[in-house]
Amino acid sequence: MLEDEKLKWQFKCGSPQALARIYEKYVDSLLTLAMGLLNDASEAEDVVQDVFVGFARSANGFTLRGNLKAYLTTAVVNRVRDRIRREKRRSTGRVEEPSAVAQSCGPDEQLVFTEDAGRLSEALTELPHEQRETIMLRLKGNMTFKEIAKIQGVSINTVQGRYRYGLQKLRARLNGEVEK
Amino acid sequence: MTPEDKVERILQDRLRFSAGATLRRRMLARTLDAQRESQETNPASLKGAARRTIMNSRTAKLASVAALVALATLAISLVPRFTRPAYAIEQTVEALQNVRFLHIIERDDRGLIEDERWIEIGADGFQIRYRQQNPPSVIATHPGAPLMVIEDGDSTAVYREDKRTVILYDRENKQYQWVGRLGVAFENLRQEGTILEENDEYQGRPVHKVWWPYLSAECYVDPETKLPITLGDTELSYEEPSPEIFEIVFPEGYAIVDTRPGAAESLPDWLLEESSADAKASEAFEQATHALANGDYATAVESFTIVTEIQLRRNWAWFWQGSAHCGLGQYDLAVEKFTKVLEIFEGDPCYYCNYARALAYAQLRADEAAEEDLRICLPEMVRALRIPSAGKMFEYANNPLISRGKAKPSDQEVVTHMINRLRIVSGRRFGYDPGASVEANEVAISAWEEWLETDGQIDITLDAELLPEIPGTGDTQ
Repeated sequence: MLEDEKLKWQFKCGSPQALARIYEKYVDSLLTLAMGLLNDASEAEDVVQDVFVGFARSANGFTLRGNLKAYLTTAVVNRVRDRIRREKRRSTGRVEEPSAVAQSCGPDEQLVFTEDAGRLSEALTELPHEQRETIMLRLKGNMTFKEIAKIQGVSINTVQGRYRYGLQKLRARLNGEVEK
Repeated sequence: MTPEDKVERILQDRLRFSAGATLRRRMLARTLDAQRESQETNPASLKGAARRTIMNSRTAKLASVAALVALATLAISLVPRFTRPAYAIEQTVEALQNVRFLHIIERDDRGLIEDERWIEIGADGFQIRYRQQNPPSVIATHPGAPLMVIEDGDSTAVYREDKRTVILYDRENKQYQWVGRLGVAFENLRQEGTILEENDEYQGRPVHKVWWPYLSAECYVDPETKLPITLGDTELSYEEPSPEIFEIVFPEGYAIVDTRPGAAESLPDWLLEESSADAKASEAFEQATHALANGDYATAVESFTIVTEIQLRRNWAWFWQGSAHCGLGQYDLAVEKFTKVLEIFEGDPCYYCNYARALAYAQLRADEAAEEDLRICLPEMVRALRIPSAGKMFEYANNPLISRGKAKPSDQEVVTHMINRLRIVSGRRFGYDPGASVEANEVAISAWEEWLETDGQIDITLDAELLPEIPGTGDTQ
């Protein structure tokens, strides 16, 4: 945490090294969070890229007193919500266009993950977004229920309920694996 | 543990995504560009702005002086309490992040330099300039190896003594590296590094001994600077070299071949042949690793043979060719290939290869030779039960897909697989349970350590009862 305090100050003073360090430190956990919420590699990359670009531009007005990781995590959550809202509007408005042909690119150009991670991310998409978000913030953002309640604007009891029901559904979805 | 707890654990352990190297670099570049653009459009520096704001009024000036006095007093009052702070790996990571130059030296048994490199590292953690110099003894044993390589930031110059030629490449097309991703290596040290011994001694110098998993090496850290002074057998120092170190020069009597975009000259036949052979080897290697991962051992052997005929010192091609021979039951050929790998390593540790060769020897009923190999690798195998990263090369050796980023074994998987290997070589069990808590497994791990210390009797049991594969790994032992 002390390192983060120092990085925050250096970043505010315009240090590219500090920004690079913050990026290196958190990019993978933010990508994991975004993938858990979206289950779409290219969307997840865009979200995390947007968050870092926004963060990079915020140095002048940057007055973060709290936890840097929580700040970036919340930024990812907000951007994911924005995308989902936009997507809903788009999908109700018109017939979807065929998706662009995927460009072939090497593994270095992509997200790296195990088959397991891909499967878990897919299982998470079957949960309602609120439950998925709660589980990801708790397990991957290491947030307390109180912090999650604040982000979601609901009571702690509601958050705990979302978490419990979400895990139960995942358990059913991953049944064979969990029972072993 | 309730089923919900298990779900929690599965998500915590296995739901992980990371950016591939190029993606990572591209995203970081965009992020840094955004910062730069933002600074250009808001040129007033924050430091200056803050200072101006503070100094605008007399009250503020007095307040800031008071704050400074308070800070100084606080610092002084803290000094006696922290005169001998405990060492933390974070300090080394921080020190490394401020390093701008690296000087790396490897020596042979006689103390002669066999590999020397200089690296300039940019603010973003990526390599800017580079120089590698190989002594003539290395050139003699590594056909086609360059005498020297210099990257000046724009171009890469490869000095081929055998052809008396300097080949110039655009740096984007040809880069040499010491450690691929320094930033990732530093982060790995911060997250997974372990202090093995604080206030130890190395060659008469006080040091801290640290395990660095990403580099699979122990390093000795200078307690003053917090920087590693050795990494395995490699010496490290951080002085700024003289400017000419990174300057591309053309020795007298050397031809120059310029391959950079825009250069009009045609390439000599030998270079075209070499490039085409390298491309063929890369393609064959790709095919071979996939064939091996799919259990198509005959194709794997065939393709790895193409690679090793072109690239005589490609150790992974030799190793996996040996693995493919094992798959075909050709243990004598497997021993031959594994031996080749150990020769390439020239006495440096290659524990996974000793283990693989031991099993091949066991199949040939050459028990003494098998035991000799196992005596070399067993301590490392047992060590991996407590420090899983020490076992990661065994995993890499076992599954070529890891090198493609298509598999990333968790610590739990590394330890489980290592227990299985130990069961095979010892015929013992000691009750390790992958699903049990760390505390519950402590007894089993201690028992393995005690076994190695006191008994260590080898009894290769190829049909030993193994722990079940952790679901989803698709791995084989």
